[in-house]
Amino acid sequence: MNLPEQNPDGGPMDKLTDTQEFMNRLYIFSGAPGGVVKLFAYLAKQETYTKGQLILKGGDPCDRCFLIMSGKVDIHQHYNGRRFHLQLLSSDSINYFGELALLSEFNWFFSARAWTDVTLLTISREAFSKVMERYPEFYQTMVKKIIKLRINRFADQSAYLLDHISPDAWREDPAE
Amino acid sequence: MNKKAAKSIRITERSLFYWILRRHRPMQLFLLLFIVISLFFKVFPLEMQKRIINEAIYLKDIELLYLYSALYIGAVTIAGLLKYAINVLQVYLGQKILVEMRQELYTHVLQLPLQFYRKMQPGTVISAMTAELNAIGFFLGGAIAIPVTSILTFVVFIWFMFALNPLLALLSVGIYPVELFVIPYLQKKYNKLNTERVKTTRVMANVVNESISGIHEIHGNASYGLEEKKLTTFIDKLHQLMKKLFLVKYGIKFVNNFFQSLGPFVLFLVGGYMAIHGEFTLGALVAFLSAYEKVYDPWKDLIEYYQSYQDAHIRYTQIMKIFDLDPPHLLLPPGRPPYHLSGNIQCNNVSYIVASGVRLLEDINFEIKEYEQIALVGFSGSGKSTLALLIAQLYDASKGNIRIGGHDVCELAKSEIGSNVAMIAQHPFIFSGTISENLLYGVRAVADKQTMPDRARIHAVIKDVGLKDDILRFGLQAVLSPEECKPFRNKFLRMRQIIQTNLRDEFEHAIEFYDVSKYLYYSSIRDNIVFGDSLSQNYTVPRLPDNPRFIELLQDVKLEKPLITLGFAIASHTINLLADFQDDEFFFRDTPMEMDEFTVYSDLLARLSSPQPKDAESQKLLLILALRFIPQKHSIVSLPSAMEKKILLARHGFQERIVHIEMDHCKMHGTCTPCTKKNRCGDVSGFIPFCPSEYLYTRTLLDNILFGAVKSEQVFDEQLRSLAAQAFSDEQLLDEVLEIGLEFEVGSKGDRLSGGQKQKLAIARAFLKDAPILIMDEATASLDNTSQARIQNLLETDFRGRKTIVAVIHRLDLTPAYDRIIVLKAGRIVEQGTYEELMEQKGDFYELARAES
Repeated sequence: MNLPEQNPDGGPMDKLTDTQEFMNRLYIFSGAPGGVVKLFAYLAKQETYTKGQLILKGGDPCDRCFLIMSGKVDIHQHYNGRRFHLQLLSSDSINYFGELALLSEFNWFFSARAWTDVTLLTISREAFSKVMERYPEFYQTMVKKIIKLRINRFADQSAYLLDHISPDAWREDPAE
Repeated sequence: MNKKAAKSIRITERSLFYWILRRHRPMQLFLLLFIVISLFFKVFPLEMQKRIINEAIYLKDIELLYLYSALYIGAVTIAGLLKYAINVLQVYLGQKILVEMRQELYTHVLQLPLQFYRKMQPGTVISAMTAELNAIGFFLGGAIAIPVTSILTFVVFIWFMFALNPLLALLSVGIYPVELFVIPYLQKKYNKLNTERVKTTRVMANVVNESISGIHEIHGNASYGLEEKKLTTFIDKLHQLMKKLFLVKYGIKFVNNFFQSLGPFVLFLVGGYMAIHGEFTLGALVAFLSAYEKVYDPWKDLIEYYQSYQDAHIRYTQIMKIFDLDPPHLLLPPGRPPYHLSGNIQCNNVSYIVASGVRLLEDINFEIKEYEQIALVGFSGSGKSTLALLIAQLYDASKGNIRIGGHDVCELAKSEIGSNVAMIAQHPFIFSGTISENLLYGVRAVADKQTMPDRARIHAVIKDVGLKDDILRFGLQAVLSPEECKPFRNKFLRMRQIIQTNLRDEFEHAIEFYDVSKYLYYSSIRDNIVFGDSLSQNYTVPRLPDNPRFIELLQDVKLEKPLITLGFAIASHTINLLADFQDDEFFFRDTPMEMDEFTVYSDLLARLSSPQPKDAESQKLLLILALRFIPQKHSIVSLPSAMEKKILLARHGFQERIVHIEMDHCKMHGTCTPCTKKNRCGDVSGFIPFCPSEYLYTRTLLDNILFGAVKSEQVFDEQLRSLAAQAFSDEQLLDEVLEIGLEFEVGSKGDRLSGGQKQKLAIARAFLKDAPILIMDEATASLDNTSQARIQNLLETDFRGRKTIVAVIHRLDLTPAYDRIIVLKAGRIVEQGTYEELMEQKGDFYELARAES
């Protein structure tokens, strides 16, 4: 586990500002007022995983969406007893997964593992609904954006699968 | 039946005086003796009064005055002390009789047939058993003493008066007969009203009881008005009754007082006349007046006694009327050893008809062989549950008979059914108390016939019914006192060691272990500095800012100001961010400020001009926020890095200067090796540091085993839990956690348990009894599929050839496992046979099964 960020000045720095800056750069929060983003930044949780560690397991109930602050995440699925790699996400490309968890309850239909050491920011469905209750005017925009995010990831995944539509469509697990 | 009743009078047929005259006779005699002695000391002062005036004062003899006065005060003191002793004895006696009455009545009430409880409101039973019996208790003690004392005192004083002056005595006593007519007349009125009052209070108790039981429905329908109206009717009625009641009650009092004052009037008139004419001495007149006053006390006591007797009598008859039923079965077998029944059950022409005439069961005939497993199925309302209840003797057949092991169920004693039949209800009742007490409930009731199950057996049954994980969880959440922990302490510490050493790699990413040389990012600043707990709660967050030695320490390591600044930052950020969210606890999870403190801190910030307030109260408030701050949990601010070092310094200083302990061993060996401590005796406050060899009595067992803070619940997942469980069970350490979990308090009606847990507890309770016959009334209906399958599997393997099973089943997919299926329809058996046979027949069962699929 990594140590939390520290403020070299020695005074109690506003950690929120950092998180808020990161969030401001994300498509989902673009155009949202500063107050909403700040509230999300406050409610978001930072999670760190070491290389090879399982982040979420297919079949478990979903409860949060993940934003990748640093590192790479391997999205995969077990099918017919084999492990199929579906996507490699990183902080500088598609840097999110589990976005649908914000909208609905379901069981994860894929698994995610840390491909490198990763730092994630997570937003729980509960936090998302609580904020949306206070800002109902943004709900529709948010839903549209989440669907867009899903489509982006889906398109990326499909392209990858089509490229590898052969027995090579799986990669070795770094942990094994 | 009724054999027990033949031996002694049934409790509800006893009169109120049955209890008084037959109980504690030696004590009652003792009381009477006291009363007789006290009489002498009551009259004696009157004689002294007369002599003081007529002899001492008249003869101006000082010595005589001293003597008579001394005798007077001596007699008065003794009379007072005796009165005190009589009162105490009286109450003691009354309460003793009340205890017996209540116990015997409760035993009787519990044995009344279930039909009685269908009609009876719990409120009636509760108020009868508590408040109304209490009122009788006050009467019971004085039931003999008061009339005896009063009559004797009355007679003695009248005699004394006659001795002084027969004419005056006759005149004063002449008033009483008039009262003898007026008072009983008023009392009769009072009694009538009082009976009405008892009834109305009872109905009111029922209305309140019903509203509380159905409070969900009331909230759900917002029917507050309706319920209020229901009660208001009775409140008004009670109000009217009480008004009349008090009118009569004080009317009686008025009549008494009036006649009491009438006496002195006659005395002064006639006595005064006689004294003026020298026919009566002054001393005699004073003594006569005193005697008259005294004679009125027993008279008043008698009237009050009469009133309270009437009151107690009404209450008593009302109570006994409610419960005037015979228990349908004997508790113990009459004059023979109890039967050990075989599992053979026969139903011969059994019908069951309820009071309204509806036939729930009609002409049921079947035989179940020993160890046979039978499923009772049918449409809802077909009578299958009723049949099961008849076999368990909870109801009695209206016609025909049921025989278990060849004996008529109706003739068997309750204790025989208790030890031979185990019953699991669809909605079992869980009593308040611990899990363990509930588990052993059935066995304890028949303990003399069956040995108590040992620990291994209890654990095995818990595992069988799938309750083990739940109980382990309860155990892990327990906070144990040093006494509770003592027998298991070493094992719990061994569990901690397993996590710290064998499983360290797996747990390290989920738990931040306590380490005396490291800063803990998942623990509060308070935990980081104090690094332990005090049994006397001396170093809790609210107390620390008031501890001068602690503040001095913070100043010495230059931490006080930075902490106050941190507190200020937390307060201002929280106030700014959450001003619009003060009403939702959810938003306060990531800040050390609690929701209800919002106003306090926003007022504080409005007052403060700088982050470093000068007044102690503001400093304290800000320090509290800082001490609660957990860097990795509270995202509202981050921890300034320069603070970490100072906090570690403060930790060292705290150990050295405040609690006088030394943890260098921990530093040298790392957290894995228990350390030896020096200077512990210097700490009088019972401080326990986060040291690997110390059990932390202020924290849960789980906290103690993990010995660190959980980084996030998501990471501390099932996989880790089962890994630890496996490691503990390999060393047989889990049994101790189970033992702790078994002591979990389940709350009233088992409210702290889930529906499934309650059901499993009831199943385990029945299994522990190990009776040859097991009756299950949809016992697994509220369980999930896995748990249901587990129980079913147990019946098919463990219980095969050991128990006769009668299971009322709703889910027909469970029936193939049974030896025979009996199908009921509208109170009659329509089919029976194996699953295959019935499916082949394509009759009612086939239809039922098809409807279900």
